[in-house]
Amino acid sequence: MKTQIKKYYPLLPVYAAYLILFIIGKNMTGMWQLVAMLLFYCALGQAFNIFLGMTGYVDFGYVAFMGVGTYGMALSISRLADTQMGIWIIAMGFLLAILMSGLLSVAVGAVALRLRGAYFAIATIGVNEGFRFLIEGARIWNGSEGIIFTAQLNKILGREAASALSTFWADVMVLIIAALAALVTMVYMRSKIGYALTALREDEDAAKVMGINVTKFKIIAFITSAGFAGLVGASAWALKTPYVFPPEVFEIHYTVEGIIIVLLGGAGTLLGPVAGGLIYGISKYYLAIFLPGFQLLIFAPIIIIIIVMFPEGVVGMLKVRLNNTIFERFII
Amino acid sequence: MVSEQLIGNLIQGLVLGTVYGMATMGLSLIFGVLKVVNVGHGAFIMVGAFVTLMLFNALGLSPILAVPVAFIIGMGLGLVFYYTTIKRLIKAPELATLLATFAIGVLLEELIKLIFGSEFRGYNWVVGKLNLGVTVLPMSKLYACIGSVLIAVLLYLWFNKTRAGSAMRSVVEDSEGARVCGVNVGSTYALSFALGIGLTLTSGVLLTMFIPVGINPYMGGGYTLKAFVIAVLGGLASPYGAFFGGLVFGLIENGSYTVFALIPGVEPFALTRFFSFVMLLIILLLRPTGLLTKK
Repeated sequence: MKTQIKKYYPLLPVYAAYLILFIIGKNMTGMWQLVAMLLFYCALGQAFNIFLGMTGYVDFGYVAFMGVGTYGMALSISRLADTQMGIWIIAMGFLLAILMSGLLSVAVGAVALRLRGAYFAIATIGVNEGFRFLIEGARIWNGSEGIIFTAQLNKILGREAASALSTFWADVMVLIIAALAALVTMVYMRSKIGYALTALREDEDAAKVMGINVTKFKIIAFITSAGFAGLVGASAWALKTPYVFPPEVFEIHYTVEGIIIVLLGGAGTLLGPVAGGLIYGISKYYLAIFLPGFQLLIFAPIIIIIIVMFPEGVVGMLKVRLNNTIFERFII
Repeated sequence: MVSEQLIGNLIQGLVLGTVYGMATMGLSLIFGVLKVVNVGHGAFIMVGAFVTLMLFNALGLSPILAVPVAFIIGMGLGLVFYYTTIKRLIKAPELATLLATFAIGVLLEELIKLIFGSEFRGYNWVVGKLNLGVTVLPMSKLYACIGSVLIAVLLYLWFNKTRAGSAMRSVVEDSEGARVCGVNVGSTYALSFALGIGLTLTSGVLLTMFIPVGINPYMGGGYTLKAFVIAVLGGLASPYGAFFGGLVFGLIENGSYTVFALIPGVEPFALTRFFSFVMLLIILLLRPTGLLTKK
């Protein structure tokens, strides 16, 4: 039993970081907004890392999963508002978000995951644009006009609870999703899935020869990662700001931010997305105050520098430093 | 009436297709020689468009003169990015070059936004029109088409008649073998990357002759997607394949637009862009080596 628990020690620093963030946000006035943003980036990193970090495949269309997740919540609230389901509509929204992002990932994965490396990246680069133009072009779910569901949300929860939801509880849900994503990452790492993914990331052909069903494990990682992205979209976007417009939720910049966070922290590590999310979020927050509009201009060369000089990321370097110390078992 | 409109649109598509093909040759050249996918491709097209815009609006130079200027600037940019970034990543996993070229694209977009702002710009180059009966073709589009074909022919000659061109072809075939035969693979990489970026910036000039409005720092994203579809159509590693892929793509794009416009209650422009994405997936699924390559 003890060894069972010991296996999950690396979760401690992750959860400690989330707890500290939550306490700071709850107790220091004016900090919640920053904490909410940091939680969003940590959750995004944590979710993206399950695929990008663990498989080494780059999905340039990742934001599409967050987008359809947002639509899942929006559809649930706007279509079910007249029923007597009350708060269950929100639960229904999360379910729909997971379902829709999962389905999209199965559809995309069925085609793209047959392809390797560069071809995979090429196949995914149009996913978010493609899906956005399908919604706009075929006028699905109101097309380019989007869905605004402020009134329906007020009707379901009452005005006060709806405003509490968007200013506080939505962010708490993002925190829970980030924590869950970290837990799933940990479980994967300690199971056959994690070993298989490590093998395929290092050398896919060798993994195949060893009898590992690489496609199966890639799809597992892809769907899991997409499902969490859908949940993040549903809470951080749909519940926080009760409207959804295709150009906003299929914006490639969120994929870029996800990539920066995962790389900065250390791709394929458990603590990496937290470190990356905090570093990226805090620097973005203060850059937005002191140098508004220059964030990407500053971050683009940083990505290049990380890739060329520190491909292991912050946690990767930390891991090497902490080898053979008491902290070793806490950092993965 | 519809058939006449379709023929008119297909002629426009063919003319646009030559420019599309030219706009993809740089991508295919870089992938063929270096095995690097330039995810920031569209950003380089955008830089080419801005070069044209600046020369025209600030100095009053014709877009035709922008072609050599953009090509030289592109070669320069290509060398800078090759020696600072790409060279160090050639041996790294694919993830590294994908992300690096992506970041280069973002960097270019943000730099141009910093200098010129993010509003849409355009220029007005009046050179008359050519009436073909079924459709009216502005001369500027015709020049862009002729320019594209000329550049493709020049590239073909350069590949087949010069030493550096043969060296490049040998590296495409087998970089180890080329090294053994005394080809300087390192400098061939550098030259190919520079040439590829030079061609891409040039194509930005030609594309603005086609659509002289809507020039802004983020215009490249759509072209990146289109270029990938075209490159995959043509087999990804062959610049000529890319050129013919461009022709096919121009025809399909304009043809499908005409068809979508007949369906009531949809936005044909958005659907056309969705269609090109679906086409990419289908080709990748059926023939990832390209439709126009021999088995």
